Amino acid sequence: MTYVFQFGIVFDQFDRMLAGAWLTVQLSIGALLLGLAAATAGAFVLTAGPRWLRAPVTAYVELIRNTPLLIQLYVIFFALPGFGLRLDANAAALAALVINFGAYATEILRAGIQSIPAGQIEAGRALNLTTVQIYRLIVLFPAVKTVFPALASQFVLLMLGSSVVSAISASELTAVSNTLQSTTFRAFEVYIVATLMYLAVAVAFRAAFAAIYWAVFMRERGR
Amino acid sequence: MTNMLRCLFAACAGLFAVAASAPADAQALDRIIKEKKIRITAQVDSAPFGILDKDNKPTGSEIETARQIAKDLGVELELVQVTGPQRIPALLADRADLAISSLSITTERAKTVWFASPHGALSIVIGGPARTNITGPADLVGKKIGMTRATLEEQEVPKIAPPGTQIVFFDEHAATQQALMTGQVDAIGAAAFLISDLAKRAPQLNITPKFTVATAFYAIAVKPGNFDLLQWVNTWVFVNKNNGMLAKIYETHTGVKLVDLPTF
Repeated sequence: MTYVFQFGIVFDQFDRMLAGAWLTVQLSIGALLLGLAAATAGAFVLTAGPRWLRAPVTAYVELIRNTPLLIQLYVIFFALPGFGLRLDANAAALAALVINFGAYATEILRAGIQSIPAGQIEAGRALNLTTVQIYRLIVLFPAVKTVFPALASQFVLLMLGSSVVSAISASELTAVSNTLQSTTFRAFEVYIVATLMYLAVAVAFRAAFAAIYWAVFMRERGR
Repeated sequence: MTNMLRCLFAACAGLFAVAASAPADAQALDRIIKEKKIRITAQVDSAPFGILDKDNKPTGSEIETARQIAKDLGVELELVQVTGPQRIPALLADRADLAISSLSITTERAKTVWFASPHGALSIVIGGPARTNITGPADLVGKKIGMTRATLEEQEVPKIAPPGTQIVFFDEHAATQQALMTGQVDAIGAAAFLISDLAKRAPQLNITPKFTVATAFYAIAVKPGNFDLLQWVNTWVFVNKNNGMLAKIYETHTGVKLVDLPTF
């Protein structure tokens, strides 16, 4: 082993890597919120919405879930300008992540909603609950509780998958790492630090999700 | 007993001395000749230096150079396919014996790899569509300039770009060129060959070189410590410069005359 590690070069540029990691976090949270909103609408359409809307939503979910994120990114960044829609790199990255996460989350939420037995909904009607009450208390709440771990995992996958947006010159953690690596040639050092940063972000997100799960679903039990 | 201990100690010390003084791979040349195989990097997204032909086989001036080197060494050639940013890591990680992928000589890179004397040259230009008005570095202010990571333009363009120039980086030449063709950037920093090639492939955009940023020489690189391999490569460059082989390879693939090559 003749390789000499030189972490000093990386730590000199640490603020740039932190800025990259911060953009990764921002992109992920933005994609989470917007994607969840899209997914809630999508899952509603698939389970209770008008029939004519189901085909386009199904088409969207299947199209996105069966094509690579990188290609979706290229379509938004390189192909859409041909139709007059020009997004800059970070905006295109966010759009691609929202569209991608929205499709996966739609499918996860749909599965959760369909896991609620019909008898449970009928019981709600028998108790004279309104449609909104039934949807909120009997369908959505237990459905989200059931699929919460799957949603959390999908979100962490989204955060890690956001590394591909460096390909279109977005300036998140992977992009900053690639640039640092190519100017310092310290591949091992740069990528080891980037790996640890991704790990820290992923662990923090998982902890946040566990806390949300406890606060929303576990305390409810005691009431 | 004392003698035995002394012998053992001497043996240990000897081993230690050998281990401590052995450079990375001082016998690289011998090993290559013995194994009858040399591993050379092949970057195939960088026309006209390295590209895939219509049968998906690597071709280009640097691939040709690699083939010639293997032929002159009398060994089999194994091309190690790399992208631009992987050229130096491939050497350092011992995936390749030589990097022959239009690797420009810079003092920054020389901290990490050892360069032979140059066997080719390229100019970095700012290129863009005719409608983009750029005549010199001062016009870059407020413009979005794309370039590929781990290239010479990544080092040279920021030096001449005034504050207010927005420089964005892509991982591959293909993405950088696509960004220019779709208007995601106003202009790109790239090798002159790439700009003229792009101008041919997208005539509707009227892409022209705006100004030359720098001219650089590229060379074959070895992992630090491989003295014997470096010495052989330098000899090869000297011989093939004088017999016209370098100029022939370069002009066949680039369509441009090779400039006078300095040595060091």
